[in-house]
Amino acid sequence: MSENDDERGSDNAGRENDSDDSGGKSDSDDGGTESSGRERVADVAEDLFVIATRELRTIVRTPALLALAAAFAVSVVGVAWAGTGGGGGFVPLTLDLLTFVEVLVPLLAVAFGYRSILGDRQTGELDVLRTFDVERLSYVGGVYLGRALALVALVVGTLLAVGLFVPFLTADIPTFLAINAAADSGVRYVRFVVLSAAFTLVVLAATVGISAATRTVRTAFALAAALALALVLGIDTALVAGLASGTIPEDGLAVLLALSPNSAFRGLVLSSAVGVVGGADVAAGNAALNALGLLAWWLGSLSIALWRVWPAVEPIEE
Amino acid sequence: MSEDAPATALRAQAIDQSFGDVDVLSGVSLSVARGEVAAIVGPNGSGKSTLLHILAGIAAPDGGSVAVPREAAGARSVGYLPQRPAFRDGFSARDTLGFYAQLLDGVDDEDVAATLDRVGLGGVADRSVGSLSGGMTRLLGLGQAVLGEPSVLILDEPGSGLDPAMVERLFGVVGDLAADGTAVVVASHELPAVETHADTVYVLDAGDFAASGSPAELLTETDTDSLSEAFLRIVRAQVGESTVRAGVGGRSSKKTAGADTAETDDTAETDADDGVETDADDSEVNGGE
Repeated sequence: MSENDDERGSDNAGRENDSDDSGGKSDSDDGGTESSGRERVADVAEDLFVIATRELRTIVRTPALLALAAAFAVSVVGVAWAGTGGGGGFVPLTLDLLTFVEVLVPLLAVAFGYRSILGDRQTGELDVLRTFDVERLSYVGGVYLGRALALVALVVGTLLAVGLFVPFLTADIPTFLAINAAADSGVRYVRFVVLSAAFTLVVLAATVGISAATRTVRTAFALAAALALALVLGIDTALVAGLASGTIPEDGLAVLLALSPNSAFRGLVLSSAVGVVGGADVAAGNAALNALGLLAWWLGSLSIALWRVWPAVEPIEE
Repeated sequence: MSEDAPATALRAQAIDQSFGDVDVLSGVSLSVARGEVAAIVGPNGSGKSTLLHILAGIAAPDGGSVAVPREAAGARSVGYLPQRPAFRDGFSARDTLGFYAQLLDGVDDEDVAATLDRVGLGGVADRSVGSLSGGMTRLLGLGQAVLGEPSVLILDEPGSGLDPAMVERLFGVVGDLAADGTAVVVASHELPAVETHADTVYVLDAGDFAASGSPAELLTETDTDSLSEAFLRIVRAQVGESTVRAGVGGRSSKKTAGADTAETDDTAETDADDGVETDADDSEVNGGE
């Protein structure tokens, strides 16, 4: 067979498909029909769950991650046990754990996420997966879903478990005082747990985005560590410095707080899970803006991961 | 493989590829028929891995096209074995192929077991991939590549690091697959095995095929007795001389052994294989050879 024996056809053969991804598995040539669209969605979802399952199994089989998870759980239990929270009610427990969650969850997310996609890139499995017609949405979505399930289960499970301390450790409520049951209730604590889960999903998305966008472990680790540092210290410090120097006007503070996942999370917890401290409302920014800020970080991070995970290559099957 | 499948399994036309100001491939065309074993040989850095990435549909060429006619049978179009296959630790060989099988329609656990047997890993199917030798890992990579009976199989240095018996076994498997109608494109430095098993040999040098034909034709054209000698004649090298290439035009930059760092600035993060890897945008090409 000669290398130049086939001159027929368009020089764009194999590029007829408008899809910018790896094609999908449907045998139908009419990609615009409703049935082929449904098949494609089903294929994407099926592959996504296969990949998510592999991620979960990977985490369960990675001793370092299991050790970190155990360390997190023990630390949270320790804080709840030793602090005033466990014996003082749900709101004191929330206040005890808030800073702790703000610091530890980004670190956990870095550990769970920064090599999630980079690892497959380095072993060559990312290239291999593409010959299985796996679409970017399936791959990134599967990696994120699998890691998120593990991490959220850890955070939520641990926080709910320590919440169970409260009924046991709280001193008997005196019967001679009028008590406003709404001021400290399990519902408020559940709100804190739900917000913690959302915060976990956001910072994990950011580290998965970094993992997809980087090509070396060194770069990924440096960026992920820088992200964690910025979330925990950098952005808040910059805000305080800006306020103190007058660079940041006070009326713009709500917007700026919403730009940082940590500040937005803290604001939402203070406004919806704490509410009133010492008889005064907590200044916690604008709840809607905070929620929007978290959503923007989540969407932006996953969009970057989808965009950068692998290059767009026209399908070669004709 | 279906009887009514088209005779041409893979067609590449006028492939161009550059990394920065280094042209790696320039107007490369080839066509591989069903059941044909096409070997691509060439000096280090000649662009073999880059070409295979493009043929596998993993990388987009700067110019030209690749087409794989749709097959009636087979769960996927192209199977690909990277130069250094590696898999996630903590999973067995069976788990690993099982994962890939789940991504294919109509491929089940029985197919996984049959594939493991086919590549000679049936006896270590439940061993962790981290405990497999380099050769076994490569065979597992081959198993992954043949899963789902692709119509085209693209193998990047499948025999690298294997002992001669394993190389023969691996090429034997490749020959069996070709006999079943699979088109095989293999980049390899194992020239004796290539001489024995390949139907067509393409010698890639200076961005394009410097020669092509059956092993016998190349021996006749170069008036040599072995493919190794023919290769040296075609790339105009002497035994013991470095043949590292740095893209098109590298032929004029031959250096003596021990002074062969023919890499560009763009190769900072590569392990050097095909010479050129950029971290820029989406044009990453895995190196290593």
